[in-house]
Amino acid sequence: MSDGSTTEQDPRQDPRWRLVRAAARRPVPTPAGLVDRVLRSVRAMRDRVLVEPLEVPQDRGDLRIGGRALVTLCRGAGMELADEYGGVRVLAVSLEPEGFDVLLSVRFGVPADLAADHLSCRLRQRLGALVGVTVPPVNVHVVDVHHP
Amino acid sequence: MEATDGALVNRAVGGEATAFDALVRRHTPRMYRVALRVVGNAADAEDVVQEAWISAWRGLGSFRQDAAVSTWLYRVVSNTAIAHVRKRKPAVSLDADLAADGGGPAPGESLAADPDTYPEARAVQAAQIDAVLRAIGTLEPGQRVPLVLHELEGFSYAEVAEIMQVSATALRSRLHRARVALLERLKELE
Repeated sequence: MSDGSTTEQDPRQDPRWRLVRAAARRPVPTPAGLVDRVLRSVRAMRDRVLVEPLEVPQDRGDLRIGGRALVTLCRGAGMELADEYGGVRVLAVSLEPEGFDVLLSVRFGVPADLAADHLSCRLRQRLGALVGVTVPPVNVHVVDVHHP
Repeated sequence: MEATDGALVNRAVGGEATAFDALVRRHTPRMYRVALRVVGNAADAEDVVQEAWISAWRGLGSFRQDAAVSTWLYRVVSNTAIAHVRKRKPAVSLDADLAADGGGPAPGESLAADPDTYPEARAVQAAQIDAVLRAIGTLEPGQRVPLVLHELEGFSYAEVAEIMQVSATALRSRLHRARVALLERLKELE
């Protein structure tokens, strides 16, 4: 059986294909701290606090929102807001007893304090609008700086 | 002796959190590489990897043990990367990300001169490799993913077919079209 080629000439026989092979050999280092950030995000999804739903009394009965759902909402909203702001990336989101912890990286040159304030404020508003209740505090931490 | 992926998944399903953490440590570097080569920039690749692991954790309970764990994980990261590309198209920013090693040479691959011997040739080749990676980033995702998995990551045809959940015949055909499309783009660069 042919090795993925048809009756046409196999592109891998072209001298230019050497560069594709060279590209395959180029090392790709794992970003520093990526594994830790992934672990933090995963742990945030499974920690004990996440199985305890947020209970909000309402006129027609209690509203219960699972912690896992809250983290997912916070992460999605945070990424959207970071995109809108520009030069900001959400690295991890977790729900701690004190509220949400949102870890950010800011692009070099972006004022970290302004970005953090903006994200914190807008994220609280966005989450409130999404779930219709007073959400836990949102604590934003700038933990990294990336290059443009 | 190091636990197998399957054993770690079984322990994770049974509630042993550190087993899943071990999978994360083991597979994140390669998942990041796949994500970076599909989405084209480090920031998006990190997001993809995080999303993929969260999806994987959520899907642990439904994971079928008759499939290889690695196949399942690379399917999750590939699908997440494709979704990301389609959401944000076109987003090809290769700059310093895909050239993360500083543009080091691949010995013996120069078209003009030996890059090991000639610094200029090395620089030229690094630029050519950047151009190749950029060209891959212009392929449509359905071609880009199998090309990245097979040509850059070295997965076998059978593995890529399983990751992408397509037949071997369909995969070979798709890979061939991807190679042809990539070669056309490389010709345009000259």
